[in-house]
Amino acid sequence: MTPMEPAQFPILSTILLSTLLALLVILFIPEHRTRLIKQVSLGFSAVGLMLCIALYFAYDTEKGGLQFVERVLWVKSLGIYYFNAVDGINLPMLVLTSVVLFTGVLTMWELEKRVKEYFALTFLLVAGVYGVFMSMDLFFIFVWYDVSLFPMYPLIAIWGGTRKEYGAMKLTLYLLAGSALILPGILYLWVLGGAGTFDLFELQRIGFTVEAQRIAFVLLYLGFGILAGVWPFHTWSPVGHVAAPTAVSMIHAGVLMKLGAYGILRVGMTLCPEGLVYWADLMALLATIGIVYGAFVGLAQTDLKYVIGYSSVSHMGIVGLGLATMTVDGINGAVFQMFSHGIMTALLFSAVGYIYDRTHTKMIPELGGLSKTMPVASAFFIIAAFCGIGVPCLASFWAELLVFISAVKTYPVRGVFAVMGLVVSALFMLRVVQKTFYGEKNERWEHIPDVPLFLASPRIILVGILVFFGLFPRLILDVIQSAVVPFVNSL
Amino acid sequence: MMKWVLFTPELYYLLMAGVFFWCSIQRHLNVRRLYVWAVVLSGVGLVVAVAAARCEGTLFFDSYRVDLFSQVFKIFLALGMFWVVVVCSELKGIDARRHAEFFFLLAVCTVAMMMLVSAVELLTIYIALELSSYSLYLLVPMRRRADEFVETGVKYFMIGSTASAFMIFGFSYLFGITGTTYVAEIMARLPGLFHEPAAVIGLVLALGGFFFKQALFPFHMWAPDVYQGAANQVTTYIATTSKIAAAAMVIRFIGFAGEGTEAFVMLLMVLSVVSMTFGNLVAIIQKDVKRLLAYSSIAHAGYMLVGILSMTPRGYASAVYYALAYLIMNFACFMVILKVADDGHNLQIKELAGLHKRSPLLAMTLMLGLFGLAGIPPTVGFTGKFFVFAAALEKGYLLLVIIAMINATISLYYYLIVIKAAYLLEPVREYGPVRVDRWTRSLSIVLVILMIYVGIFPDKFVLLAEAAAAALR
Repeated sequence: MTPMEPAQFPILSTILLSTLLALLVILFIPEHRTRLIKQVSLGFSAVGLMLCIALYFAYDTEKGGLQFVERVLWVKSLGIYYFNAVDGINLPMLVLTSVVLFTGVLTMWELEKRVKEYFALTFLLVAGVYGVFMSMDLFFIFVWYDVSLFPMYPLIAIWGGTRKEYGAMKLTLYLLAGSALILPGILYLWVLGGAGTFDLFELQRIGFTVEAQRIAFVLLYLGFGILAGVWPFHTWSPVGHVAAPTAVSMIHAGVLMKLGAYGILRVGMTLCPEGLVYWADLMALLATIGIVYGAFVGLAQTDLKYVIGYSSVSHMGIVGLGLATMTVDGINGAVFQMFSHGIMTALLFSAVGYIYDRTHTKMIPELGGLSKTMPVASAFFIIAAFCGIGVPCLASFWAELLVFISAVKTYPVRGVFAVMGLVVSALFMLRVVQKTFYGEKNERWEHIPDVPLFLASPRIILVGILVFFGLFPRLILDVIQSAVVPFVNSL
Repeated sequence: MMKWVLFTPELYYLLMAGVFFWCSIQRHLNVRRLYVWAVVLSGVGLVVAVAAARCEGTLFFDSYRVDLFSQVFKIFLALGMFWVVVVCSELKGIDARRHAEFFFLLAVCTVAMMMLVSAVELLTIYIALELSSYSLYLLVPMRRRADEFVETGVKYFMIGSTASAFMIFGFSYLFGITGTTYVAEIMARLPGLFHEPAAVIGLVLALGGFFFKQALFPFHMWAPDVYQGAANQVTTYIATTSKIAAAAMVIRFIGFAGEGTEAFVMLLMVLSVVSMTFGNLVAIIQKDVKRLLAYSSIAHAGYMLVGILSMTPRGYASAVYYALAYLIMNFACFMVILKVADDGHNLQIKELAGLHKRSPLLAMTLMLGLFGLAGIPPTVGFTGKFFVFAAALEKGYLLLVIIAMINATISLYYYLIVIKAAYLLEPVREYGPVRVDRWTRSLSIVLVILMIYVGIFPDKFVLLAEAAAAALR
């Protein structure tokens, strides 16, 4: 078992606290001082970002295992611990979250409607996300999971766009239906563990009978899978993405959907390896259908946000497929894909957000030739779209490569179908790029200025990360591998 | 020698009832001063109840048991009464000349419920239950413009007395078959007698009386009409305090049953599932906030039963914790209704539109209360549900817990509709600002803190609930 030395400085709790503190501070700022609220938000999200980067550099990839452990007894009678730690799987996720939060705050700099509530809710949501990613206690994973879900409702219903109330309600009910399966699953394992503990690693050591694992895995897989956008439970996701305002879409598709995949990996696969083996076939099948289906449906969309929404379904299918291979490469690729897809989708939504703010439309036929009027703003979208297709030198390339190599090895037929799905997704992304940014210029958008430097900054950061990890994939793969190798060996 | 000190909280509230009775026969009554007295007296009552927490012993030939379980519930009851009195500063739903009677009946009802949570003998239970019921029968039609709502009072009285009749009928069976009226002895002998139909019929009928108070399906018919028909303050009292007493009674009664038999557990399970599902599904279509909360209370009776029917110390403890959570959350919601509908009318969901601008504090209290009822962390409602489900799963009732969780998701839909009204909808017509006096403001803040604090740091409260449940044996 991994060493669990107490951390010198509770850096994880500090990250968590930075969002909760931001929430509190924002609550006490008068409503009309919107500029101050934005500055405070930016400041606190920058603190989170710095800490996560520091964490990334401080993490010892040689040693691997759990690091920066914080453990406090919370509820004695049930064996609940406030237990935070990082390893190679959740570290990239924490970095991802902090990046998306920081760039998300910058992206919403021009927001004018109910600013205070918006940022307060965003920080509450991100607190939940951080919490899930760093907790190693099932109770806390569940609590933070729900905390991250319910701010989505007001965030979409108040600030959203197309059919916002419908989208918000559908999303909330779907995701909470998912958590309605997770809670029994977690409690079931807690009871069967018999040791009166929710500690993930304690439970992993105890182990469960094959039959119990099969039951629990289904509950956990379906519960978390809804959030991960697993086909056929994905229908909330395009609708929710389209309804949500820009930064919420970024956080949502960029980070929140990863919570689902992370939950499957961290809770489902860790605690129920036998269950995974039993259900892996089905998992791979659903993932493949998701990849192909998402790509084909994306092909038919005329709304830019729907296109990204369905591409997310397709790309999250790649994550699911990677996890289902149960190989080092597959899971490495899946975790890397979670990271790169998070950054990529954030960039896509952020690019569309700027276009929508200026033109008030996101319908592909109404746009056209945008690269001539706003070359920089268009470039962001095009780079992200290329990343989605898997163009080399961008982060997704490595992730998708790893997943597909091991998928074709493990599930030859499904793997080939999945690769073909990727071709279709390349087709639809290129089609969007061609119609929206090249092609015939729409005179209506002549006068629109290109994105100013300040507003471009969040997009530049995201592009930078995609290129950086595209060129130096080992920098993140080494981290991921340090956790995945022992994990796969323990399966 | 009688240990009267054990009886202190009850005696205190009896005295309080006496004071209000004296007030009610006064010719000239200063309503304002009466309110201040009521707040002070019920506040002191809470202190008395807390002070008596550690008392233990039996009274009246062992038919009356004072233990940590009963004392904890007496604190809850005192707390509920105190809160209800505090929000009665503008008792607009009730005629000014009846205010003293209102407080008098409230005090009597509280005494009766305190007796109920301590009673362990059938006739004592019956007397306490009837005393509390009759106070409520009188409180319900006390509303101003009573003629519109008199039907409600009659309906409540008719259904209530029918339930009582069935209950005492059930008691007679239990007495006939076991030869005793002491609940502990009855429940000890019953498992061996379950092959006789009389035993099952007796138990079911007896429990029916309690389930009636708790508004569990199929004994729920009165709840929506009474919630809607009674004055807002009275509804608040019924929805919070009286529910707590009913829960205590069910826990105590079933607590004596030991392990229980399979058929008995099955029966409770069916009741719980139907209650949750029915309550939640019907609540979806409600337009009136009080009616909506009535159906939600039917569902919550079902959730609470999930904990109770596991029949383990942890199950009972989780139900005690849940009762406390329910008291806090439900009271928070009703307090907001009271204040928004300050002329005492029945609040419609659409009238909550724009509440976040009219009173941010009340809107937040309402939102947290509703999120709590829906079981969203980190509120107290989530922690309560978590403990209840954990207890049920310990006995292996996985399917029951899944059904309960799906129900929680359904319930979220209608709670979200109310929250949406408060935070998203623009009012169709101009509603005046909501007047929030200093008392209400402080109480709101206390409730908000409680809902979060008890939810995030449940340890001490769980220990208390476990100690209370341990006293059951």
